[in-house]
Amino acid sequence: MRIFIGLITGTLASATPILLAALGGAFTYYAGLFNIAMEGMLLVGAFCAVLGAYFFQSWLAGVLCAVLGATALALLFILFAIVLKTDEFVTGIALNLFAVGATTYLLRQIFDVKGSLSDPRLPAIPAVTIPLLHDVPVLGAVVSGQNLMVYAAGLATVISAYLIFGTRFGLRLRAAGHNAASLETSGVSAARVRVWALLACGVLCGLGGAFLSLGYVRLFAENMSAGRGWISLAAIILVNGNPWGLAVIALLFGFSDGLGLLLQSAQIPSQFTGMVPYLATLLALSVYATRRAKARPA
Amino acid sequence: MTVAQRPAAPSRATGLIELRHITKVFPPNTLALDDVSVTFQPGEIHALVGENGAGKSTLMKVLYGLEAATAGEVRLGGRPVRFRGPGDAIARGLGMVHQEILLVDEYTVWENVVLGAEPVAGPLGQLNTTLALRAVQAKIAAFGLDLDPAARAGDLSVAARQKVEILKLLYRDVSVLILDEPTAVLAPQEVPQLFAELRRLRAGGQTILFISHHLDEVLTLCDQVTVLRRGRHVATRAAAGLGKPELARLMVGRDVVFTSRRSPHPPGGVVFSADALTVRAPSAGGRAAGRERLRDVSLSVRAGEIVGVAGVEGNGQFELVGALMGLLPAAAGRVRVNGRDLTHASILERRRHLAFVAQDRGRMGASLAAPIRDNAIMTHHRLNPALTAWRGWLLRPAAVGRFVDELRERYAVTMRAAGAPFRSLSGGNQQKVILGRELLLDRPFILLDQPTRGLDVGSTEYVHDQILQLRARDRAVLLVSADLEELFRLADRIAVMHRGRIVADLPTDETTLAAVGYLMLEGRPAAG
Repeated sequence: MRIFIGLITGTLASATPILLAALGGAFTYYAGLFNIAMEGMLLVGAFCAVLGAYFFQSWLAGVLCAVLGATALALLFILFAIVLKTDEFVTGIALNLFAVGATTYLLRQIFDVKGSLSDPRLPAIPAVTIPLLHDVPVLGAVVSGQNLMVYAAGLATVISAYLIFGTRFGLRLRAAGHNAASLETSGVSAARVRVWALLACGVLCGLGGAFLSLGYVRLFAENMSAGRGWISLAAIILVNGNPWGLAVIALLFGFSDGLGLLLQSAQIPSQFTGMVPYLATLLALSVYATRRAKARPA
Repeated sequence: MTVAQRPAAPSRATGLIELRHITKVFPPNTLALDDVSVTFQPGEIHALVGENGAGKSTLMKVLYGLEAATAGEVRLGGRPVRFRGPGDAIARGLGMVHQEILLVDEYTVWENVVLGAEPVAGPLGQLNTTLALRAVQAKIAAFGLDLDPAARAGDLSVAARQKVEILKLLYRDVSVLILDEPTAVLAPQEVPQLFAELRRLRAGGQTILFISHHLDEVLTLCDQVTVLRRGRHVATRAAAGLGKPELARLMVGRDVVFTSRRSPHPPGGVVFSADALTVRAPSAGGRAAGRERLRDVSLSVRAGEIVGVAGVEGNGQFELVGALMGLLPAAAGRVRVNGRDLTHASILERRRHLAFVAQDRGRMGASLAAPIRDNAIMTHHRLNPALTAWRGWLLRPAAVGRFVDELRERYAVTMRAAGAPFRSLSGGNQQKVILGRELLLDRPFILLDQPTRGLDVGSTEYVHDQILQLRARDRAVLLVSADLEELFRLADRIAVMHRGRIVADLPTDETTLAAVGYLMLEGRPAAG
């Protein structure tokens, strides 16, 4: 039973940053932007979270800094891809590379450490204990006591789904992706809608990054986003950006991640267990491809 | 209101919409509208007719705020207004339906209609679906449009999609609808339904400005007709009592007798022939086979002869040129030059037998960004061995330089350096380079697609001289032109295209401008 609960907690924890980044990317996906900068935004978010938490000695300040940092990257994306109309793909690659370089450089300049920074004085994002529920056996251990950001990710899923499918903003957002010219002739600037989508992406990736460095673990390591932004991109493409679908994919990925850790304790070399999430992604992609091939008329 | 009793003279009292002395110059010196004054009365269907390039669309774009007038003013209800964009116009009750229908295919009809003006509630801007649906349904009922608000826009026919565009404007409470050739995208059997709906809109108090060049449509639907020709206002008349021949004459101009510039020159044998050439539109999404855009077109041009192709734009000229050049596949028929079958030949193979001046200088005729030199040697670089070395793998710069110099001298091109980008040349000089390049190929058959479009008077004259010289040198020339005067000046015969067919092939000396104009518009000769 301990193993079971541990597996679920591990699943939730590793699903959270992917889900947050994927939700952010969903906004830009619906807006018709080819945005691949989630990886960089997660990394900048993670770094800024440690920076804020370290200097202000507050996890909340860390989260705010993470959001600001990732949003700053989103603003750069806006400046280049929307204002200056550069290629979105190239802009995304440049921002991702910039994020790696900038965080590594700043880590060495500000903290004077190489590789990773961990400090016992670094405050962590707290876990939340839900009264009453907490005392229910098994269920309590799963539903209560998770990190605040895990709940935030769940809430973000609900809010994103509502914003995208239930509001004026969502109607315009999806129209910008489907047929921007139609939106323009309806008197709405598609560029402005895309700016909002990117800002939402920045905020969500900032939260995801903060969880990486102040929740999942309590340290910053160079390039610690470790492909989670890319996984989120794969998830978005897999489910066409649908927030509920993203939650399922993120949980599946988190589960295989957790399973990998579990297998590691069963004497299987970590190099193999580390492959599990990525093999799961490939498997999901192949399932998706066969399903789409069937849906298409011969 | 009984339209027939209205005085035909345009000096009417101030109506709802007045366009006063509108002049529009497109830089550098194309005069699109020349002092046009028209008044549109509220509650009427008012047609704007004229040939392509007459200025109908430009005039409506000025009214709608898409183009700024160079001079003149727009008045609504007696007050001058200046729209900075469609948003302004819609706010003042004017809406325009463009030819190109822009809907979000994935959205339902009602979602498309409310997009940009959605009823919302709550701090996050929750869509009020019930209210939106009810408002859209109310508009559909009020104007008797046959539309299902819950249908997906992508599943609708073109006619229904057009209706959604109209509904979108009605939802925004416009009282003036500008329709830019709305029947152009419709199947013939869909037109009566649109007309019935437009009449209902008029009954509901809407003013409709209807751009068209189909005489029948204009006369059956509209109350008033304004005719534009070459950017000038020709006449505004009540449609009732206006005959088709008279309207056609107003559109193409008086029966002027052009001083033909051709000297007598007996033509030789047939150089170019097209037999029963058919081109289909690409089939849409693998569904049915595409519609025939060019049907059974047979044409021939003899040595020392200029044959003109007349027609309202979009009646198959594009497909004819495309099929002759190998840009569009011929579904049936034959193309021959000097007896050689070129129907399915590669473009390079065709270029050994024909020269071609494309309609669109900046896109097909030349590369604007490339140096003048590169544009001058295009085609030659593949076919003229003197320009290349190593079996065509390398260019000889000295030979290229001599070639460009020759072209410059023979065709009087004014340019500074051969390495300057093509776009730095004036329109006239660009056309001289293209024409010179093609004529230096020295082919027996020359295909010219609108060779003087957008050129000033001097350059036009120059191109005309060159075409006549080709005739004197016993070349066969096929001249596609939207400019009837040009055809009457140059062509020995005029073939008239209508809906993808050649409906007449007449010796120029035995026909009149009005007769050709009528054929272009109606596809058959004027009765009587």
